[in-house]
Amino acid sequence: MSELLVIKNLHASIQDKEILRGVNLTIGQGEVHAIMGPNGAGKSTLSAVLTGNPQYRVTEGEIWLKGKNLLEMPPEQRAREGVFLSFQYPVEIPGVSMVNFMRTAVNEKRKYEGKEPLSATEFLRLMREKKKMLAMADKLNNRSVNEGFSGGEKKKNEIFQMAMLEPCLSILDETDSGLDIDALRIVADGVNMLKTPENASIVITHYQRLLDYIVPDFVHVLANGRIVKTGDKQLALELEEKGYAEFE
Amino acid sequence: MLNLNKGEHKELVFINEPNLDLHISQAQDSSLRIIVINVSPIHQFTSIEVHHVGTGCSTEIYVLAYVKNKDCVRTCTRVYHDVGGGQSKQVIKYVLADEGQGAFLGELKILPDAQKVSAEQTNRNLLLSEEATMRTQPQMEIYADDVKASHGATTGQLDESALFYMQQRGIDPQTARRMLVVAFMQDIILQISDEKIREQLLQSIDGVIEE
Repeated sequence: MSELLVIKNLHASIQDKEILRGVNLTIGQGEVHAIMGPNGAGKSTLSAVLTGNPQYRVTEGEIWLKGKNLLEMPPEQRAREGVFLSFQYPVEIPGVSMVNFMRTAVNEKRKYEGKEPLSATEFLRLMREKKKMLAMADKLNNRSVNEGFSGGEKKKNEIFQMAMLEPCLSILDETDSGLDIDALRIVADGVNMLKTPENASIVITHYQRLLDYIVPDFVHVLANGRIVKTGDKQLALELEEKGYAEFE
Repeated sequence: MLNLNKGEHKELVFINEPNLDLHISQAQDSSLRIIVINVSPIHQFTSIEVHHVGTGCSTEIYVLAYVKNKDCVRTCTRVYHDVGGGQSKQVIKYVLADEGQGAFLGELKILPDAQKVSAEQTNRNLLLSEEATMRTQPQMEIYADDVKASHGATTGQLDESALFYMQQRGIDPQTARRMLVVAFMQDIILQISDEKIREQLLQSIDGVIEE
């Protein structure tokens, strides 16, 4: 299986506080990697650094996506290359409708790939198709992005956007937090349906629960800014039982 | 002086008027909407004074300004609830770019006889540059005791977390900024009842916003 993402000796800080202290991780096409770990281990920092969040500074190391140097790209270019983050806290954007937001995003990506923009009709058809997949309400189109959405709706909306943009690397940052069991199942079903032999996912989670639905090929424990243990899905069950005490 | 008769309804829309000086007196149960939009000013001064002389009147005032270069836009509203049972709502929004200067003075007076009045005043300002300035001065004078009155003024910058969220979806930062500024401005434009004018304005504001 060919390598999709390679992270080498990644160090990153926020406000001069070092959070990541040498992360090494290789992800192949078609794989699902779970990253678990105690609070403050650097899980969300890793997703922020992968997506180019300007609040974080990379002080050392490399990130390669399909052989391209990710650290040289601004956030929007990383997104167009296929890096997608399902945010832990999706942002509300009052006054920007979902349809306008999504059409802009989809067409910017198409432009980057040298494709013609979708017409209004084609776009709406695509939106309808993907919404159906996630059992989302039709009224969504004209609502402002995430504004007034419940916790569950916001997370579903993240997966919906993922379905629209068809990323090669999706990062789900604590997607399970704030979800009841029905919403969790819908979100997980969505993620599983979007799985292909070419793309890959990083599932960041504190709990094992989500991994019952999105079954990982690898489970990594991130503690103190490093990956300290790697195993298969069995490791997640052990962590659930024993907690993270041995890594803290 | 403009007089609104008993039960009369009026909507007044002013777009890019260099100077505006309105004095309006409202008779019983009349309703008034004023929408003032200044998107290509150089120097602009708006003064609106409204008196509720009859009971049960309603007044809505919406002001939107986009100020750039070294331009200056000043808005002054005076709403007087002389008698009771009336409602007033004011929303004043400014976007300030470059070295643009804005000022808002909002006077709201509820006289002793004006019971059961509901009045609200909101002023929101978006600064797009470090050099832009906004002065805002709400003044409430309330002499009646059975009233609902509120005011709020905020001045801030574009939401960085929204910008990053949009970039993460592949939208370039210039486009994202533009979309957020339009979003900030459009709810005032949407108050205009005439669909043709409304749509024309919505089309044209995109060209107003500078990078």
